[in-house]
Amino acid sequence: MKVLAAGVVPLLLVLHWKHGAASPLPITPVNATCATRHPCHGNLMNQIKNQLAQLNGSANALFISYYTAQGEPFPNNLDKLCGPNMTDFPPFHANGTEKAKLVELYRLVAYLGASLGNVTRDQKILNPNALSLHSKLNATTDTMRGLLSNVLCRLCNKYHVGHVDVTYGPDTAGKDAFQKKKLGCQLLGTYKQVISLVAQAF
Amino acid sequence: MAFSVVLQKAFLLALLSLRAYQNEVFDEPIQLVPEVQNVSTSSKPQQVNLQWTVPNLAHHQELKMMLQIEISRIKTSNVIQVVNYTTTVKWNQVMHWNWKPDIPLECVKYFLRIRGMVDDDKFLLQSSWSNWSSWQEAHIPVSLEPNTVLVFPEDPLVEEGSNITICSVYGRNQHNVSCYLQEKPIPGEQLDSHVSIFNLNNVVFFRDTGTNFFCNSIDTKLEDGIVLFVSKVLEEPKNFSCETQDFKTLNCIWEPGVDTALAWKQQPPQNYTLFESFSGRRKLCNKSSCDWQITDDSQEIYNFTLIAKNYLRTRSVSVSFHLTHRVYLKAPHNVSLEIINTTKAHMTWKVHSRGNDYTLLCQIELLCEKEVIHEHNVSVHMSGDYLFNDLDPDTEYKASVRCADATHFWKWSNWAEKTFSTPEAAPSEALDVWRIVRSKNGSRIVTLFWKPLSKSRANGKILFYNIVAENQDKPAKSKHCSIPAPASDTQLTLDQSSYKLHITANNSVGMSPETILVLSRESGNQEVVEKRINGTKDGFLISWEPRSRDVISYIVDWCAHSQNQLCDLQWKNLGPNTTSTIISSDAFKPGVRYNFRIFEIPVQGPVYLVEKQTGYTQELAPLESPEVLTSNLTSHSFTLSWQGYASQFQAGFIQGYRVYLKSKEMHCHSGWDKVLLSDNSVCCNYDIKDPKQKIFTVENLRPESDYEFSVRSYTSVGENQNATFMMVTTPDEHSHMLLKTMLPMSLCVLLIMVVCYWKSQWVKETCYPDIPNPSKSSILSPIKYMQNPHLTIMNVKDCIPDVLEVINKAEGTKTLYTGAGKLHAENVTKLPPVPTEKDSCGPVPCIFFENFTYDQLAFDSDSHGHVPGPLKDILCQLGPLTPPKNLLNVLGNSNMKSLTGSPTEETSLIYVSQLASPTCGDKDSLTTNLPRPVHCSEYKMQMAVPPSLASPALSKNSDLSSMILLGKGEPG
Repeated sequence: MKVLAAGVVPLLLVLHWKHGAASPLPITPVNATCATRHPCHGNLMNQIKNQLAQLNGSANALFISYYTAQGEPFPNNLDKLCGPNMTDFPPFHANGTEKAKLVELYRLVAYLGASLGNVTRDQKILNPNALSLHSKLNATTDTMRGLLSNVLCRLCNKYHVGHVDVTYGPDTAGKDAFQKKKLGCQLLGTYKQVISLVAQAF
Repeated sequence: MAFSVVLQKAFLLALLSLRAYQNEVFDEPIQLVPEVQNVSTSSKPQQVNLQWTVPNLAHHQELKMMLQIEISRIKTSNVIQVVNYTTTVKWNQVMHWNWKPDIPLECVKYFLRIRGMVDDDKFLLQSSWSNWSSWQEAHIPVSLEPNTVLVFPEDPLVEEGSNITICSVYGRNQHNVSCYLQEKPIPGEQLDSHVSIFNLNNVVFFRDTGTNFFCNSIDTKLEDGIVLFVSKVLEEPKNFSCETQDFKTLNCIWEPGVDTALAWKQQPPQNYTLFESFSGRRKLCNKSSCDWQITDDSQEIYNFTLIAKNYLRTRSVSVSFHLTHRVYLKAPHNVSLEIINTTKAHMTWKVHSRGNDYTLLCQIELLCEKEVIHEHNVSVHMSGDYLFNDLDPDTEYKASVRCADATHFWKWSNWAEKTFSTPEAAPSEALDVWRIVRSKNGSRIVTLFWKPLSKSRANGKILFYNIVAENQDKPAKSKHCSIPAPASDTQLTLDQSSYKLHITANNSVGMSPETILVLSRESGNQEVVEKRINGTKDGFLISWEPRSRDVISYIVDWCAHSQNQLCDLQWKNLGPNTTSTIISSDAFKPGVRYNFRIFEIPVQGPVYLVEKQTGYTQELAPLESPEVLTSNLTSHSFTLSWQGYASQFQAGFIQGYRVYLKSKEMHCHSGWDKVLLSDNSVCCNYDIKDPKQKIFTVENLRPESDYEFSVRSYTSVGENQNATFMMVTTPDEHSHMLLKTMLPMSLCVLLIMVVCYWKSQWVKETCYPDIPNPSKSSILSPIKYMQNPHLTIMNVKDCIPDVLEVINKAEGTKTLYTGAGKLHAENVTKLPPVPTEKDSCGPVPCIFFENFTYDQLAFDSDSHGHVPGPLKDILCQLGPLTPPKNLLNVLGNSNMKSLTGSPTEETSLIYVSQLASPTCGDKDSLTTNLPRPVHCSEYKMQMAVPPSLASPALSKNSDLSSMILLGKGEPG
């Protein structure tokens, strides 16, 4: 239940746009109805590629802004404190089919969106004056929200996939301040690496 | 006495009965051993809570006990602290005691035990400690895996300057654990194989978002950390005070000091609570103020305690006062001002008072241009008034009033203000006027200058200045003019009469007292010797010798900008007994000459110029170099002159000039010094020490040599540095003589040539006429006479004409001789009117030759070769014939001309002089008689005619060498 704590739940509600969307989404059976709240854009894949490129382009600046705002020892111990060694990060296989890649992308973005929500919440409390960081986190979260919607549309329209099982990272609400800083830094370090691969895969 | 004995007995009985009661209840000692109920721990904040009871207490019994708690770390025998404290225990009540461990509970185990001792007067018999309770363990267990590093306590909160111990717990595989505060390594102390502690002493505030403390294992690169939150020390509120304006609310204020809030909700801003001890009321306040409602009108004394508190510290400050001593009145109201006249105003106001019984002190201020010019205190009850005197007309004032309790002064109320202006009045002071008088074309140009009246003297806005020039000699010629403000000078043109000038300043109310200047016939600008003075940065000290005793005043004047054409006249009025003054001005600049004139204003008589003085506040080197002209250049000398150099406008008194001369040989003659210039060049220098000498001749020069010269003026400070060198080259030594001889010769030759040219016609006609006239050739005649006195006129009979055609016009017949020459001749004895191209010419009675044209082709084809011989031979062959005289003249003239003008063998085109009548246009002088061809002859147009345009006759007869047409109007 910690996963569904304050930081994740509002984000999921926003991401899925409907009641009860916080529950994990299994892959829809082929014959299941697939409906989206809004009509999907005609050129979805291009939009997805553009959004991935946008995220990839801003990931490094977000990472730098984050570890700089945390203060020492973070900037000088990135390998120890911010290394991309998250074990529960959703996998992504760049050589899969488009459908498989889209499903994995959906899981990835859902995971990242929820985790970034936690990071944003923590940073607004821990570093209330780091306005530049807050702005970058909000912009990234907004882009991910749009990307998630587009991926879902694509899955739904082309592959008739309306539900995908997703996983979320650990909730940081109960952690101490240093652990929150560290987990956020690890998340953004991992995100910077993964988003680069994902952007190249599409 | 009896009453006191009874009272003493009663007291003894009571004491005895109390002792009997005690012996009855506590006859046997009771063991009051504290019993630990529970030991709980918390991680944040790090704390051990001990709960205990005293089980053997009697029902509803209360006892005051002293307690002792012993604390051991790691093992029970390692006692680290013994705490004593006193409390009152009750029956069946669980007591609490909190303790904050120095090393986090996650890292070490603590053991506690407690014992007690009755410390109550009711238990005098038992005063020893009870037995200890059993040891109780206090510890927060952590899940520690072999490859784990953990740091405790979590997010600790400490005050700046305090000490804290941080511990690191690591698994069995971890050994080399290093910890850092920010990036600074912190040395640790190993408690056991899995625990290290790090003592941070006197921690400093880094930022409100905390300071990272970070540990990592070098072996496995595992890491953990905490964020250390350091709070600033809570300060005691300063300047805490309370006051009332309306006896309904007390407003308390204070200076809170630094904000101790921390991010991450570690610590909110400190809160402030106001507590009043008499009423027992308490109120949570803002950061720096609190409004306390007065609920009980009867309470006059208040005792307030302000308590500031955060998570780590509590501060308090108290103040006690009588309510009436803390009255801060509201500002007076209904302030009004009545303007009585130009110098008086009456102010009234009302105050917020509790009644007529209260006396208030009010302070009145009058401000003019933000400056307090008047201050006064008055006592009032409900309202007050005040009269302002001695005000200036046309001035804006601000009247202010504030009040306070007169009996117990606490503080002034705010100011109540009112702005007002006094009306205008006539100017109260005469203008300070001075003048410059110049003479021009028999008139006097009088420039008047006056200083604007100060605001306090103008008493209003000056609108114009009236000037009346009263002619003392001819009152009818008085002048009047009005100069609109803000002018400060004007110019009058007056004749040489004596004048009295009346100058006044006028505003809307009236005019100022008049200033009178007397202009006598004498200008007052007597010639006096100018004296030089030395100024300083502070100005000039001007002193003079008084001329007479009957003096009204002295005036020193000068121009503020002496180098400008427009003199910004400045002057200073001085008393009659003054003989010196210091003239200072911010406008004085270094390097500018100032000329001062000292005038004496006598009681009677004209203004007298006493002295002229001139000087500089600071002399500088000249800024301008003389513009030098060279003259009288010879092979050994040249002259330099700089007459136009204005030495009076230089940056200092010119003391002389230095002439610098450069040459290749660099030999300096007597009187010249060899000097090294700033550019390391060497030259000769001649010093002219007379500043009036502005001409200098450089001598002893070598011919045909280049010299560079420069003339520089100098003052006491130095010489002009901007001068440049100019080049001059001395001429050849002989060129002078050559010039003296060649020039007159050249002029003579030129004169002769001009004369010759001018008289060439005459010479030509005289010496070498085109048609020689022996009778007129006065020059050749003697020669000819000498050679052959008999031969004066060519004899026609000696000539054998080749072809001769004689046209007898009078007979209307034409004799045409056709031969080799085909020469046409016409008898012109009586010529008919000749039509010419020029109508003005009309019929020409004169002999003329027209279009004596040789066909070029004819010459090219050697057409002239048909002529058997030279033309003179031809003419000579005409000798046997006797042609008319006229015709002979014609032939002789024309053909001689053609022969002399062209060597026939060499020239392809031959022009022949043509004579026409000189009487063209003069019809009245026309004559049919043609014996005077010379007097009426002229040259007419000559032209080369191409073959195609030649006359048919010529074309047809291409062998003709010449053609003479006489009487063009005649059909050919």
